[in-house]
Amino acid sequence: MEARVWGARGSIPSPGHETARYGGNTSCVHVALEDGTNLILDAGTGIRNLGLALPEVLDGPLHILLTHLHMDHIQGLMFFAPAFRPDSEIVIWGPASPEASLEDRIARYISAPLSPVEVRELPSHVSFRDAEAVEWQIGGATIRADSVTHRGPTLGYRVTEGASSLCYIPDHEPGLGTPLSALEDEWISGLALARDADVLIHDSQYTDEEYPSHLGWGHPPLTDALEFARRAHAGRLLLFHHDPLHSDDFLDAVAVTAAERWAEMGGPPGAVVLAAEGATASLPSAA
Amino acid sequence: MSPTGRPLQLILARNLLASLDTAAFLIDARGEVVFYNEAAGTVLGRRFEESGPMPAEEWTGMFGPVDADGRPLSYRDIGVTKDVRGDRPAHATMTIRSAKAEQHRVAVSAFPIHGDDGFHGAMVFFWPHPGDEG
Repeated sequence: MEARVWGARGSIPSPGHETARYGGNTSCVHVALEDGTNLILDAGTGIRNLGLALPEVLDGPLHILLTHLHMDHIQGLMFFAPAFRPDSEIVIWGPASPEASLEDRIARYISAPLSPVEVRELPSHVSFRDAEAVEWQIGGATIRADSVTHRGPTLGYRVTEGASSLCYIPDHEPGLGTPLSALEDEWISGLALARDADVLIHDSQYTDEEYPSHLGWGHPPLTDALEFARRAHAGRLLLFHHDPLHSDDFLDAVAVTAAERWAEMGGPPGAVVLAAEGATASLPSAA
Repeated sequence: MSPTGRPLQLILARNLLASLDTAAFLIDARGEVVFYNEAAGTVLGRRFEESGPMPAEEWTGMFGPVDADGRPLSYRDIGVTKDVRGDRPAHATMTIRSAKAEQHRVAVSAFPIHGDDGFHGAMVFFWPHPGDEG
């Protein structure tokens, strides 16, 4: 499979010259499977550029896997070009809720007065499915979802194709104020999902210094993101969901700190990078 | 629930209980006591880090509740347990004993933990019974 980051920013789009290198678009990662199936992890504003880059005619449905329905993960849906093509088939997966169906919850955004278009007016064939905390197949990949610690119902996803696996947990506060080092593996949210993933894309919104004033906001400090990856034995870690206040220069400094801490934890050099728009990861399906 | 991790609802419940000064423990869907907090450890005379998780039968054998003669009640005969396993909240007064063989009369409130995929266990809080404090 081939993964490409189309949006790595958290919370709110952050365009501008100070964020041009890492990018200002919110969460979106495209995963192209070897059989040609297209998976899209979250529909933040990054999905707009992805939609423009995808071929106009596709062989099969586009599968959009939403981790949760916060705006920075669905805002791009309204601007996703394939959604406005009558011959497109789009399957949207997301967390279930006892309160309302996935379609009804997304329709709160794609409806008046927030939107000039209603979900039912989209010319494409759009269907909605609850992503249960189980495994299922999409194309040649096995998808696994599991609930993770964030504000409101939130999922992480693991995509396994052949011998390779990618785990995507863009919004996650696994410690919630408790040092991860004080918790056994089974008590760390999302760890079983991420275990031994070749590539882990994980939230790292706050620095350690910023975290105390954001405890409970649903995002971890850098050290917890690194410790989570270490405990999961992830092959590579893409730090994701950058805070909108963090400029490129600031994130460069975070990258240096992350590399130093990772080395102190005994991690292999070069395994931790900060996700930037356009970054790719190629995962061969053969062992 | 993930294949090898705890359900998120139990993880969050443990996080809550660990931050409370009210004595409380956490049981999973099988009835195993999977965590109790520092306040509970003070009453029980043994910290969770010392005892670790334990099956319900082992828990009742060690800490009770006990009958008027000080004999542990069977786990399955405890009304609170029956209610919680039936997905109902429960409140009762009972006598427990600490690892130092001290008996405490306590009021117990138990709340089932029910996620979108079913019953995951319960949070059980206990307080000194009014009149037995101090």
